[in-house]
Amino acid sequence: MSERLNVKDLITVGIFSVIIIVLIFIFGMLGYVPILMIALPILAALICGIPYMLFLTRVSKFGMVTLMGLIMGIVMFLSGHTWVPIVTFTVCAFIADCILKMGNYSSIKNAIISHGVFIIGIMGNMLPFFILKDAFMSAMRTSMGNDYVNVVAPFLQTNVLFVLFVLTFICGLISAYIGKLVLKKHFERAGIA
Amino acid sequence: MGFELNFSIDPRTKIIILAIISFMVFNDVPMYVSGILVLIPFFCLFFSDYKKAAVIYILTYVIAKYLQITILPNATGILAIVLITFSYTATRMLPILMMGYYTIMTTKVSEFIASMEKSNVPKDITIPVSVVFRYIPSVFEEIRSITKAMKMRGFGLTFKSLKSPLKMVEFYMIPILISAVKTSDELSAASLTRGLSNPKKRTNLISVEFNKFDYLFLAISIAGIAVYIYYLYGGALIA
Repeated sequence: MSERLNVKDLITVGIFSVIIIVLIFIFGMLGYVPILMIALPILAALICGIPYMLFLTRVSKFGMVTLMGLIMGIVMFLSGHTWVPIVTFTVCAFIADCILKMGNYSSIKNAIISHGVFIIGIMGNMLPFFILKDAFMSAMRTSMGNDYVNVVAPFLQTNVLFVLFVLTFICGLISAYIGKLVLKKHFERAGIA
Repeated sequence: MGFELNFSIDPRTKIIILAIISFMVFNDVPMYVSGILVLIPFFCLFFSDYKKAAVIYILTYVIAKYLQITILPNATGILAIVLITFSYTATRMLPILMMGYYTIMTTKVSEFIASMEKSNVPKDITIPVSVVFRYIPSVFEEIRSITKAMKMRGFGLTFKSLKSPLKMVEFYMIPILISAVKTSDELSAASLTRGLSNPKKRTNLISVEFNKFDYLFLAISIAGIAVYIYYLYGGALIA
């Protein structure tokens, strides 16, 4: 088994990045309901476990998960988020990759934990809201109207951010576990997992 | 095709413009800056056989912008939320969505890979990104046909089915994933026959070079971002 990624691996990375990105976008549409915008990372964490676990069944080399993080960050950037997701996704994916490496890419426990870490990368979409809170709020006031801002404002605080991090991680673990079950129910029977 | 003036932009230019637009939509900019950037996707689409999309896009944008400026500041209630959602989506996301649509629809994969190779981007990044570009439209096609198939069996997207969202997620997700796995196998077979895994340097049939349109669009968008940065930081410096 060569350490270098071959074309098949690269294509797998591309395909699964698309699936996860499309899922995040579809659920991101819910972000127009004010309260759900804050909960977006949690929703994404809950939903992305299944494709991620299926993706892991095809990963056996170091670098694939990191690359997927990078690609997702790039697509996020090109689709109107800031440059922050590139950094967060890559870093989180790299840590997830290291965790997988420790389990030699076959341990289920490590796979579940790695999804928890990987999905924290989506916080990169939210971080600008928290860091540039004031600038963001004034921009929102002109573009989204007062009602929206008044609902969202109380949640944009630092301790909420920490709660979000923890909740995202936990939901990542739960959904990875669900993903494992789904994998067993549907894909192993069909012979593709 | 009346006036078909051989309009084609280099994929690199498209990506640079896409990056610039996505950098700018995050903040509110004065009308004269965002106007330029809104018009870039319009002209790109208009001159390359997507005239209908271009016209619909610009009309939607103008209506949304009009709503945002005139009606929204004093609007309240449920109607306001709907209008806000519409105008926010249209003014913020529409330019970049249209630019992305244009990039995806008009860039051939071989063109993209050729131009990326020319600027020495490693293969590890170009191949997944080109797969992403190529595969996003087919995922939406997939979703559409899954919806149809579900409707046929009585699981349409109705209020009744929304009562059990987990089931909906499962019904959508599993077919998409299965087809994704299949597609990835097929694509890797196809790429093997095309010799993508050959470690030697590839030659390309398509020659990608910057032409006058590239320079024009790059100049416009760079001027736009210069004004934008001046607006963001220059104001602070003066004050």
